[in-house]
Amino acid sequence: MGSSSKKKKEKKKDFQKPKLRVGKARPKPTNTTETSFKAKSIIIGQQSLTTTAPSVTDQFAHHLSLLKHKSDTQRRDSLAYLTSAINSTPPGSPLPQTGAVIIPEVQPLILDRSNGVREQLLKLLRSLPPAEVDSHADKLLLYMRAGMTHLAADIQLSSLDFLDWLLQDAGDEVVGCPGGWAKTLKCFLSVLRWQTDDTGKWSNPQTTLEKSGSESKLVVKQMTTLAAFLKVGIASPKEDQGQDITPNTFPLWHTHQHRLPKYSNAYRHLNLFGAPRDEDSEMYESREDRQRIFRKKAEAAIVAGSDEAKKAGGDTGRAAAQLRKVVMEAMADYSGVDDWDD
Amino acid sequence: MGKRKVGALEKVDADLPNLQHKIRRDPVSYKNDFQNQYRQYESFRDLFMQSPETTDDNGIISLRDLIDFISHVADCYSEITSTFPDDLIKILSLHHAVLETELRDKIVGSLVLLRNKDVIDSINLLNTLFPVLVTTPSKSLRALLFQKILSDLRSSNAKTKNHRLNRTIQTVLYNLLTSDRTSPKGIWAVKITRELWKRQIWTDSKAVEIMKEASLADNEKVLVGGVRFFLGGDKEREEAADDSSDDGGHIDMNKLRHQAGINKKSKKKERDLKKAAATVKKKERKQNQPHPLNFSAFHLLHDPQGFAESLFSKHLQNSKSKLNLEQKLLVLQLVSRLVGLHKLTVISLYSYFLKYLNPRQPSVTSFLASLAQSTHSLVPPDVLEPLVQKIANEFVSEAAATEVCSAGLNAIREICARQPLAMNDTLLQDLVMYRKSKDKGVMMAAKGLLSLYREVGAELLKKRDRGKDAAIGLRIGDIKERRFGEAEAGEIEGIELLEKWKEEERRKKREEKGLPPDAATDEEVEEVDEAEDWKNWVVEEDDSDDSGGWIDVQSDGENIDISDDEDNEPPPAKKAKVEHGGEVGDSQQDKENKEAETAEAKGISKLATTRILTPADLAKLQELRLTASVNKAMPSAKRRQVLEARHADDPLTAAEIEAPALLSIKKTKEEKIAGAKGDREEHHQSTTAKRKEKKMAEGKSTTNKEKARKKNFLMTLGKAKSKQKRSLVETRKVLRGHIDRQKRGGKRGNR
Repeated sequence: MGSSSKKKKEKKKDFQKPKLRVGKARPKPTNTTETSFKAKSIIIGQQSLTTTAPSVTDQFAHHLSLLKHKSDTQRRDSLAYLTSAINSTPPGSPLPQTGAVIIPEVQPLILDRSNGVREQLLKLLRSLPPAEVDSHADKLLLYMRAGMTHLAADIQLSSLDFLDWLLQDAGDEVVGCPGGWAKTLKCFLSVLRWQTDDTGKWSNPQTTLEKSGSESKLVVKQMTTLAAFLKVGIASPKEDQGQDITPNTFPLWHTHQHRLPKYSNAYRHLNLFGAPRDEDSEMYESREDRQRIFRKKAEAAIVAGSDEAKKAGGDTGRAAAQLRKVVMEAMADYSGVDDWDD
Repeated sequence: MGKRKVGALEKVDADLPNLQHKIRRDPVSYKNDFQNQYRQYESFRDLFMQSPETTDDNGIISLRDLIDFISHVADCYSEITSTFPDDLIKILSLHHAVLETELRDKIVGSLVLLRNKDVIDSINLLNTLFPVLVTTPSKSLRALLFQKILSDLRSSNAKTKNHRLNRTIQTVLYNLLTSDRTSPKGIWAVKITRELWKRQIWTDSKAVEIMKEASLADNEKVLVGGVRFFLGGDKEREEAADDSSDDGGHIDMNKLRHQAGINKKSKKKERDLKKAAATVKKKERKQNQPHPLNFSAFHLLHDPQGFAESLFSKHLQNSKSKLNLEQKLLVLQLVSRLVGLHKLTVISLYSYFLKYLNPRQPSVTSFLASLAQSTHSLVPPDVLEPLVQKIANEFVSEAAATEVCSAGLNAIREICARQPLAMNDTLLQDLVMYRKSKDKGVMMAAKGLLSLYREVGAELLKKRDRGKDAAIGLRIGDIKERRFGEAEAGEIEGIELLEKWKEEERRKKREEKGLPPDAATDEEVEEVDEAEDWKNWVVEEDDSDDSGGWIDVQSDGENIDISDDEDNEPPPAKKAKVEHGGEVGDSQQDKENKEAETAEAKGISKLATTRILTPADLAKLQELRLTASVNKAMPSAKRRQVLEARHADDPLTAAEIEAPALLSIKKTKEEKIAGAKGDREEHHQSTTAKRKEKKMAEGKSTTNKEKARKKNFLMTLGKAKSKQKRSLVETRKVLRGHIDRQKRGGKRGNR
């Protein structure tokens, strides 16, 4: 029966009209669906459903991406995998990925905090063919300079190892790239504390004599690397190189100059698109230029510093003597006017 | 290879904060170390510039740390770090979109730090931050930059106004708005200006000019921001000022001094006491300072007519404008407030309303409020008449809902209060009939209209509706019909009230001293009065205390501060007497009547032309004016409060139009009770209970005692039983144990 008051109320509820009020928006019906949404995109998670094992190239790419992993061991293992993959490619065939892909990925690891990673990285870099490294020398050099001035001594030490390797593989590129000569020299001077104090105030030069243990080992390493660097940069060129460049094939002269350049970005010394460079970050491609800069900026400091270090004797003294010898030989034939551009 | 042992010195070297600390103390000695770090920074920077997107998480020291370190000590080695700020600026402005967030925030923070150390100046900093703020897609960076920009502007304006900086920034903001009116970037100009306006750092017309440009923008967000500023910016500023004036709480100096005498003396305590004293002093000085003159944004506008016209034609009349109803309403409110406040003439505005005046229009009450607001005494009545007619036709009928009807009547009343000539007698007489309506809301609205017209246009009403005062006034000729455009002769409203009040005060004082109340002025007394008066140039607090019943206040010497300088001019009472042939001995009543007559005859009181009104006078005048109007119209205390709170500049809102409709809704019992209770705190709690609740809310645990008290009874039962069965030896052991534990301080011994 519909007679009880409760039932009546319930019945009434079904036919209630929404109350309209003046000046207010019309109330929405109860069955409206909210259709506005804010998300710009919807992401559906998925997982790989392939049944076959990934190819070598895929695995290689995967391990490249793992180089940013937060765990030290994972990074080291990935580097080890990459090294073995590169070593196992037969000499003629191309690498699983080109150097242009590999090197930008691995170069931040020069400053890695873990010793093992850096050692493994050196192995990887050594396994790369020199032709792949050439065009990346300037970027690599940036990391090495950062490593040389790093706070941690072991990073400094290993960055010198890296520099040694780079000088072997792409020496000309290293000394000839923008900033490669002047800035690296400056960097060496500052880490050896052989700086010329141009403010004219007296300073307390911290001699290499006082150092001991790991410190002196580092200094020795720095001096030997500096010697190698100078040798590549300003030592007198070998005789056979000159013959190699100008092959005398009779009707044609200087053929190599009319061919397409062998390296990329042939006009980069013109610096057409970059920011204007100052003296430090300029490219010094010829030996004379480098000698001039060396004379102007570093020679006095290095001579003074190595003389000082020679007195220490032992390993340090020997390294200093070696360095002194390199400087002497390299600058022997320099006849440039000192105040050429002053 | 095992872990290499790190020597102590090496460890120290690797510690940038430590080096920073050492450099702070002795910059010269650590120059070499700093240089090494700077070189390190340079090589990191070069690396970074090669590929700004990559992060260097794996390194021990990141570029971020170096930047932080260098910016902290940059002021010690200004020649080494001369390029450092430029580097940061370059990195931020070129790469802010791709930078890692932490590094980005650090660079922003470092720039601000450099600014605080005066390595770079504010203009440079703001010129760097602002373009980034405008262009960056990152929300968090925008928030950070906005906050930094604001705080820098605040701090550089803290001591004195830095006009040069303000001008530069205002110009930048103005150009941002005017260069591209369609871009949404202008919202930042709006936000910054509004915030600085709120904090009373920018109070000049240039800031208002920026907002004016913003409200004329094409972008909806910018436009709405600008319009909202005009509608609510001043109120926001007032509230902020109120908040800041009573922050920090009250410091009781006596208590602090007493405590300092008792407690252990230390340097820190001494410093605290000094600091507290300084704050108290500062606060006092702030209180005594004259209130800064803050003109509202409306009054600082240069060309309100032009602004109102262009707003109206651009956003409302223009059929191409794409504003939605809400935005249109905002603009309409602004236009109508401008029109009402400055008495502007925008004739086409009124016909624009015509379309929207029907009860089914959403938010029609806002339209009605805007219409009423845009009405003023210089609007031609023939423009308004069709509008009033339409409201009457559409809203006010027996068939319409009571809500609609009362809203319509109220809107008509609001319009007619501002321009009484918009009404004709047939319509008015029709509308007034609704006071017989059964619905309370409609009835009250109609009554409101009736009482309005009894004051401003009684001749339009039927004779029996006019009421006693109006009828008498009409017969005597006291109430005259106000013509269109007619203005009162220049007079200060309520000046005669002040005059009368002064006279009364003087008489009371004389009576007190036993002098004849109406004798000629005694020079000595006046002199004293004058001295007192000029001492109390500023309005005093106790003025307002006797605001309610100024008629029966006993003069007790406190009120002499309101009297005026009466040396040079004879007082007005004397003048009146002279004119009337010196009827000194007349009775009080007689005299007052005559005075009133003379005032009418003269038309204008001479008070304002013959002496300088002090601020105290003006305050009293305002008070008298209010009481007079309140006394005349409505005796209820509640209405009086409402009227006093209302300012001439305040806007008319839709809620006010809808107000009478609330009367027709029957309240439930609960609502009535809640209304009577107000917003008093009803849930009573003891302080212990409150503390306990707070502790619970903070997630702290209970004490052991509480735990024991709350423990389930059944769980304690076993122990209680066994306790009774203990042997004497056992009891002794337990008691011993208890003593032991007490001595040790708990089971485990906590001391």
